[in-house]
Amino acid sequence: MSTEIRYEIEHNPAYGSLKLRLNPNQTALVEPGAMAAMDSCIKMKAKAKGGLGKGIGRMLGGESFFVSEFTAEGRPGDLYVSPGVPGDIQYYRLDGSNGIMVQSSGFVASSTGVNIDSKFQGLKGFFSGESLFLLKATGSGDLWFSSFGAILEIPIAGSYVVDTGYIVAFEDTLNYSVEAINGLSFRGLKTGIFGGEGLVARFSGSGRLWVQSRNVYSFVNFLHPFRPAKSN
Amino acid sequence: MKLDVLHQPDSAIAKITMAPQEELIAEAGAMVAMSSDMNVSTTLRKGKGGGVFGGMKRMLAGESLFLSVFRSGNSDAEIYLAPKLLGDILPYQMKGTELVVQSTGYMASTPGVEIDLGFTGFKSLFSGESLFWLSASGSGLVLLSAFGSIYEVDIDGDYVVDTGHIVAFERTLDYSIAKANKSWAGAFFGGEGLVCQFRGTGKVFCQTHNPGAFGQLVGSKLPPRG
Repeated sequence: MSTEIRYEIEHNPAYGSLKLRLNPNQTALVEPGAMAAMDSCIKMKAKAKGGLGKGIGRMLGGESFFVSEFTAEGRPGDLYVSPGVPGDIQYYRLDGSNGIMVQSSGFVASSTGVNIDSKFQGLKGFFSGESLFLLKATGSGDLWFSSFGAILEIPIAGSYVVDTGYIVAFEDTLNYSVEAINGLSFRGLKTGIFGGEGLVARFSGSGRLWVQSRNVYSFVNFLHPFRPAKSN
Repeated sequence: MKLDVLHQPDSAIAKITMAPQEELIAEAGAMVAMSSDMNVSTTLRKGKGGGVFGGMKRMLAGESLFLSVFRSGNSDAEIYLAPKLLGDILPYQMKGTELVVQSTGYMASTPGVEIDLGFTGFKSLFSGESLFWLSASGSGLVLLSAFGSIYEVDIDGDYVVDTGHIVAFERTLDYSIAKANKSWAGAFFGGEGLVCQFRGTGKVFCQTHNPGAFGQLVGSKLPPRG
């Protein structure tokens, strides 16, 4: 299936970088701050996806989701997009038949036919403690998402268990529930300051799931003891 | 049990395929994803020092000392395990000898391998650091993880390795801890500049980057702990 926007993913898996090759007057939606380099014919416009009011609602909810619009004006141009953390980039084609849930910091870019909803209400279980926000992408077009570390695709037919801190994206054909598994934490003692409660998502049905090979919370927990002590 | 290490060296992740009723022990928090019929329980190893209470103390200090035990059900199962930091995974086959492993370098092992926490050999010298050592003995597979890539030094005679770069070493080696040359190391690196002097025959597994040095570099720029 041909893509709407021509692209190349370079330097995978540790330093994945996305090169979008825009046709004249073609527009891409990009994670704010992720533009690394571009041809001078490309113009940028900041935009709150879904309208300003919704954007403010998201900010009050502790999670803002804005995108930048990049348009190649009059002639073709290349746009380099780099995610914030070292890792991999995955391409996903939305054909209108199903949606995909993406961890909010994992959004990299999309074509304009993709709708992104950050107010998806069905995921309350995820919000307890580990603050994993999910975006729901629907519609049709191109979508790129990123990870911390490499991305692994796990095709699910039946059921599977994933630590919530490692979820990158999953197709919405999958059902899931969030639970704590005792063997992953110890009598209520957390394994870290952030996350580490042993929260997992149990997926069932059939669809594709992407996990990342590193967890931001584990990394933050590693750094925590190195922070300076508070001086009074 | 079948092991595949994917995405080496920077983003390494281990995929382990288990036959029915097989067991795998892993550092709590290493589990990324697994088959849904896997049973998970917790084990807390009594160290040579510390014991359970020592384990709790370390846990509260931010180190996860307890291990998760994964047991497959009545059919084949798979599990993905990942280290905390960017870097490589090294499978090491134990054959009745002893291996000393830096706590952050241990990721998983098969049930024939006995893991003892609180290896006391370096205890006094490392009391100020959030780093401890454990000892693996018996036979089976140990999965080691590193910050960066792993390289192996085959020692026959004498060799010196900075303690922050040690992932693990074979206990066939004699070792002693010493300060690196005082005239430059202390001043230039600002750290303790501790090195391990090895003697004898055996392997040392080193990591290309020092987690403590990286932690200090980034951690010192973060806001103070509240």
